Amino acid sequence: MSLLTVKNVVAGYGDGPAILNGASVDVQPGKVHCIIGPNGAGKSTLLKAICGMLKIRSGEVTFKGESLKGLRPDQVLRKGICFVPQERALFPKMTVRENLRMGGFSMTDKRLLEKRIDEIEERFPILKERRDQHAGTMSGGQQQTLSMARTMILRPEIVMLDEPSLGLAPKIVQEIFDIIRVMAADGITILIVEQNALMGLRCADWGVVLDLGRTLFEGPAEEVLADPRIREAYLGAKKAA
Amino acid sequence: MSSYDTVDQIVAARKAYNETLAQAADRTRVTWLPVLLLVILALFPLMQFVGNYNYPIHLVLYTLMYVTMASGWNILGGFTGYISLGHSVFFAVGGYFAGMILARYGVSTIIMAPVAGLVAGLLGYMIGLITLRVRGPSFIISSLALVMICRILFEKWQFVGGAAGLSLPINDLPVQWAKLPYYYAFLVMAAFGVWVAYRVKHSKFGLGLRAISKDEIKAESAGIDTRFYKVLAFAISAFMFGMAGAVWGEYLTYVRPNIFVHILYFSVWPALMCILGGKGTIAGPVVGAVLIVAFNEFFVATLGASAINILATGLIMALTLMFFPLGLIGTLARYRKLPRALNWD
Amino acid sequence: MADILQILILGLALGGVYALMGAGLSLVFGVMRIVNLAHPSLIMMGAYVAFWGFRLYGIDPIVMLPVAMVILAATGVLLYKLVFEREAKSAKYSEMTVLLTFAFAMVFEGALATAFTNTQRVTTPDYAVDAIFIGNVFIPLGQLYAGIVSLVLIGALALYLKYSRFGYAIRATTQNREAAELLGVNVNFVGLVSFAIGLALAGAAGALVSFVFSFFPSKHWEWIAILMSLVVLGGMGSILGTVVAAYILSVVAAFVGFFFGATLSTLTFFVALFVVLLVRPQGLFGEKPELA
Repeated sequence: MSLLTVKNVVAGYGDGPAILNGASVDVQPGKVHCIIGPNGAGKSTLLKAICGMLKIRSGEVTFKGESLKGLRPDQVLRKGICFVPQERALFPKMTVRENLRMGGFSMTDKRLLEKRIDEIEERFPILKERRDQHAGTMSGGQQQTLSMARTMILRPEIVMLDEPSLGLAPKIVQEIFDIIRVMAADGITILIVEQNALMGLRCADWGVVLDLGRTLFEGPAEEVLADPRIREAYLGAKKAA
Repeated sequence: MSSYDTVDQIVAARKAYNETLAQAADRTRVTWLPVLLLVILALFPLMQFVGNYNYPIHLVLYTLMYVTMASGWNILGGFTGYISLGHSVFFAVGGYFAGMILARYGVSTIIMAPVAGLVAGLLGYMIGLITLRVRGPSFIISSLALVMICRILFEKWQFVGGAAGLSLPINDLPVQWAKLPYYYAFLVMAAFGVWVAYRVKHSKFGLGLRAISKDEIKAESAGIDTRFYKVLAFAISAFMFGMAGAVWGEYLTYVRPNIFVHILYFSVWPALMCILGGKGTIAGPVVGAVLIVAFNEFFVATLGASAINILATGLIMALTLMFFPLGLIGTLARYRKLPRALNWD
Repeated sequence: MADILQILILGLALGGVYALMGAGLSLVFGVMRIVNLAHPSLIMMGAYVAFWGFRLYGIDPIVMLPVAMVILAATGVLLYKLVFEREAKSAKYSEMTVLLTFAFAMVFEGALATAFTNTQRVTTPDYAVDAIFIGNVFIPLGQLYAGIVSLVLIGALALYLKYSRFGYAIRATTQNREAAELLGVNVNFVGLVSFAIGLALAGAAGALVSFVFSFFPSKHWEWIAILMSLVVLGGMGSILGTVVAAYILSVVAAFVGFFFGATLSTLTFFVALFVVLLVRPQGLFGEKPELA
């Protein structure tokens, strides 16, 4: 039984051409899914279509049997799906603590929110240390940590991360993937889009290859890693970081 | 599961579509209407033999002046995408330069108009070097600041008459012919303005300008000297305003800061004419000029007050922007309803 | 020395009013990326509300201030709903909105001039022409009151933005609209409310301006450039920056006015605007050239 089903989705920006041309993904509960593919394959577009930032022209997205089609981002969020876009989506001139509070903006119980923020700070000491610092002044890795930790305030069922390793040093990237595993251990289903395909797949349970807006292959991450055709076409040129 | 076959199909379809567009443009372009208009307007003053047409002649002259300016503004605002609300500065510079020459040496502004245009164009080139470094809203705001600065400078500059401005001699032609030199001067300028806009649009230079308006960074990486192109477009548009201002001064018989550096009439109106008619089209500024002058006549005739005039100008501008952002010509062309006669592109 | 101190005080007294005039403009730009060229004409509207309240019913302009705020806020809601909401998807949004607000500036000017003519007006409560003396220097009472009220309002706004839930939403939308939307902020509603607040501040500024400066509808052109210089120097969207810029320029203009005459005093703002746009488009406090 899959948690989130994307079926034959066609989507694009504004009146422009379709970037997704019938992409399909099955998201299994509790697993880490990694979507790989070359530049312009439609990986980010897929995540944006799921979270409601882009209009789905045809096809279907269902979450626990309910359609997500036509919902606004805030409505999708309330269903339990968080999205961390490539630009990290922080508020640079707000403090770390204020950024965390924004993560729980849709919560009405203020005390519960403060409690969860405290929990997050316990788990990520760096955020506690920097709580009164402006988010924009932190390092890239710390910012990525913050944006991922922030999603956990809402206790979402699915977290979607767009290129979490972008622009980070290899050592930091490892830390980020460690956090992803920690989140998965908490029972959060994860969907990542990764340019760094080898690294992403090694951390994932399930791999999805997307190209030309379509799903080319879907299967257990080890199988994707092992498949010689995929290795040649999508993994070959990439060096492991 | 490859879809390369479909990609090929798409590319082929796109090429075919582009070709039909090019052919359509070829078939619909007409030259007889502008030429006919020119001939009719050249013969129009003959009406003075059969009656008193002083006022209609004034109106046509006034419209022609705006055609000159709006066509010039179009090169910067329409083709290049830099919206200036400060071009009255160049109108005033042209007016003052030619006015001073007339007052001191008695040389008619009609003769000096091209020189006044060059002076305004040169100033435009220099100002463009500075202000064209910013774009979008910043550029618009900088153009407004320019008007404010210029107005104060002219009011303070005693050499050109300060706030009172310059008084210019009235020509000694009989009343019914007195307007004609200026009339023909503006007719030639308007035709020149439209012709220049057309030539620019169909040149490599014009292509570069349109590339800048679409995406300046890409244009630059495609090897276009965007800075030079923009500044040149700015200078050409300033040239048109300078010429128009020169002759307008002699026609009015005075040059005064509050009249010439007028933000509504000489900065906003040319812009509005372009936007209303259709930015980036050749016929747009002409149609816009005719419409705005006609609207203005209507408002002044029926309502009288200049305050209403400002209100109406604002409303027309707002409604055009909201409902026809492409302007009259642009909107018609978009829906393929543009009469052949108005496709001058 | 006393002269210098006197000029400094006059400059500072006006700075507060300028700050309030610019604050609403800055807020609206921050949240909606609209350079509202109609803002000064809306301040003018607020000034007329206060003027007629005083002229017809003898109500003190500072008492009329909340009335002006409510009227202007309502205007803001209307404008947003009718015009700016539907422009949100426009391809050249920032340019489009500048032109639109410019058009509305003319509409408001024309409407005010049609209704009330271009006669120069000023509200004249007793304190407007009074002053307190401290030794050799004097402080005009009207400017002092206006400055204090301005600072109170700006302070209230700052506290609201810093501590209220909706203030969080406004700040978040200013800093990263897409992220705010992803976290469940209804950015369109935030836009509506900020626009209304921005215009309410214009109304308040208008009521204060009505006894500090003389005014007539077409004077808003001059204010456009003055206010633009404040928000551009302060860094568009930064309210603190606008306030600081207002004080700096106001003091500089007071000195220029003292040494070179009143006309050139206004020129200070225009030249500052021009130079800042070209040398440092992001302003004093901005981090990236958002407008360029």
